[in-house]
Amino acid sequence: MGDVKSVAWFCAYTPLEILDAAGLAPVRRFGDPASLEAADAVLHQAICPYVRACLAAAMDGSAPTPGDNHHHAVFVNSCDGMRRLHDAWQARFPKDFVFLMDLPRNEDSAGERLLAGEFVRLAEALEAFTGSAIGAHALLEAARGREERRLAYLESSRGLSGAGRLRLAMAFQSSPATEKPVPGTGVARAGGVPVLLTGNLLNPEGLVSVLEEAGAAVVRVDLCNGDRAFSSPILATGDGLEEVCLSLARGYLDRRPCARMTDARRRLDLLVEEVRETGARGIIYAGLKFCDSYLYDFPRVQRRLREEGVPLLRLESDYADGHVGQLLTRVEAFLEMI
Amino acid sequence: MGLVEDVRDRYIEKLSPGTFRSRVFWKTVETLARSPLNRPQWKADRVSLSYFIRATRDAYLRRAPVVWSNLLVPSELILGSGCIPFYPEMAAAVVASAGLAPRFIDRAGEEGFSSDACSYHRCVLGCALDGFLPEPDLLLTVNYPCDSAPLSFSFASDLYGAPHRVLDVPLHEDRESLGVLAEQMEEAAAFMLSLSGLTAEEGGDKLREALGFSNLALRHMRRVEELRKRDDCTLDGKDAMGGISVLAGSMGSREGAEYYRLLADELEERGCAGGGAIRLMWMHLKPWYAQGIFDALERHGARLVCEEYTHATWEELNAAEPYASLAQKVAGHFLVGPAERRARHLARLAQDYRVDGAIHYNHWGCRQSCGGAMLVKEALQGIGVPVLTIDGDCVDEREYQEGQLSTRLEAFLESLKA
Repeated sequence: MGDVKSVAWFCAYTPLEILDAAGLAPVRRFGDPASLEAADAVLHQAICPYVRACLAAAMDGSAPTPGDNHHHAVFVNSCDGMRRLHDAWQARFPKDFVFLMDLPRNEDSAGERLLAGEFVRLAEALEAFTGSAIGAHALLEAARGREERRLAYLESSRGLSGAGRLRLAMAFQSSPATEKPVPGTGVARAGGVPVLLTGNLLNPEGLVSVLEEAGAAVVRVDLCNGDRAFSSPILATGDGLEEVCLSLARGYLDRRPCARMTDARRRLDLLVEEVRETGARGIIYAGLKFCDSYLYDFPRVQRRLREEGVPLLRLESDYADGHVGQLLTRVEAFLEMI
Repeated sequence: MGLVEDVRDRYIEKLSPGTFRSRVFWKTVETLARSPLNRPQWKADRVSLSYFIRATRDAYLRRAPVVWSNLLVPSELILGSGCIPFYPEMAAAVVASAGLAPRFIDRAGEEGFSSDACSYHRCVLGCALDGFLPEPDLLLTVNYPCDSAPLSFSFASDLYGAPHRVLDVPLHEDRESLGVLAEQMEEAAAFMLSLSGLTAEEGGDKLREALGFSNLALRHMRRVEELRKRDDCTLDGKDAMGGISVLAGSMGSREGAEYYRLLADELEERGCAGGGAIRLMWMHLKPWYAQGIFDALERHGARLVCEEYTHATWEELNAAEPYASLAQKVAGHFLVGPAERRARHLARLAQDYRVDGAIHYNHWGCRQSCGGAMLVKEALQGIGVPVLTIDGDCVDEREYQEGQLSTRLEAFLESLKA
């Protein structure tokens, strides 16, 4: 990558356009699900396993990017877990660029203004870090590039299995904007029972793979490391930096939301709409342990889907998913029922 | 069977949702609270008890609009709008003290709430599902100190069909960000005025009055803090921790100010018990249902001289700019933002109160607190304060391992003595 600095990101609300416009290479980190215990000395075990896996991988002493041992990172204040990951990261890597960007819960105009202000603040911090100004033009260009990339993902992911889509989405997120990942293996199962997978973030080698093994055809991967981040365009407009940031803020808040946002009804409506649209016969609600946004969300989803007559199965993941074999029977029974 | 268990089995467990909506019940509670049978440790406790009984009674009997709030929502804002603030997290502590939490936690579990979530909120939701809490007209949360409140209140909002507003407290305390928070507060206040039926002018007067009481409380609270810094002050942290409900729910009321005035006066009158104790700081909150851990501290000659949550963390409010002032009060709280802020607050407390050691009680499911525990520990150790972190649960007594806890606690105290 030459002199281009790599910057780690973790939350789907990270404004990648701004990092691109700063001339950086944003790379989403997923950590190592198999070694998250290494983070126990810093973070309590009842913290999100994704957060612990990311920290564990950063602490293992190896260079995050070949030839570059820096741990530059942009965090989003989206949940307690992410905030604590930032805290631990900043304490471990005080000489690197470590930025915590706020994220409002409200998607109204106050939320929009707060988020736009945060985007400007991030742009200013990046300018100070790189020594180069970020102009409105560069930001608009970067936004166009990101939209092209989103469309490329949608094109490449057609016909892939759930695990295949998830792997591809993660490859798109964890590679610099200049690289275009190619789809790997994982063609959708013909004749499988169509289901929609929703939740927070999953390991593609974990319980997702069991769903298809049990006979499901995952028609949509509504996860933050899956289809959700590519669900709708973020259109940037405006003349000055602040104006462009405001349009970006609107775009991020309009996207299919994470369960941490205040307007839960909008999210539930979108979920039900998606079930109708895709012809899914049921929903698999799968989430990482210790993620409060989804722990409190599930009962409400359950109530709404009952009203709508949509069958629902809840699964839990510890990210490493060593137990997935045990889930097979439950998934098979669910698929048989629907 | 002890008296507490006897009372619980005979009376408390037989309470129904309807009981709390009966005037006779509240008359009885008020009479008992005033009777000589109730002998609070401090005169101030009688004032806070009477205040909370009255506010809770009015909430159940719907004598004014009820606003559910979480810990950092300033009660001045709600009282100043003619509404009744109700803090369900405090209610969960009361339910836990009465030994009733497991029943409601299990009820929330039946609804699908995972046992990995905070038991304060599971208890609240269980109570709500069974109809035991006063119906809210509005649910008002701030996005700190933790994710649980905005999320669990959101479920409750659907359950009751009442609106839910979240005040987004910004990470940064610049003028613009605070301005957005102040605007959100003003909008919330306008909505509460529409509920209470007060005019904007009446609301303005009431809010100014609330800020006046709050400032008075703050002055007395600072007196309390100075008095508590003395050697072996007679107010122990295990009791002072109960003051979190006063701090959250009565700032802006006459009784809130009176509570701290009486407490300061009585601390002055009683004087000190003498020095020589091991001085400890308690972080996060205590198990509300158990006393054993504190008995162990006492046996070893240790005292909790300060605790994390019950200290003044803001400056006097400006009645000329009420919303900007309240926005600053909330945004400046040490639980907002990175754990570094919390660590700084705790390090300052440790130094001001000359502690010999500190205990971090890791409440299960509290990501904001447990998540920052190691960083806090490093910060305190950096200034020479040894820290013991213990895992437990503030509300669910079934997760409390007294033997194991006491052993670790005793080993820690021995090491401090050595």
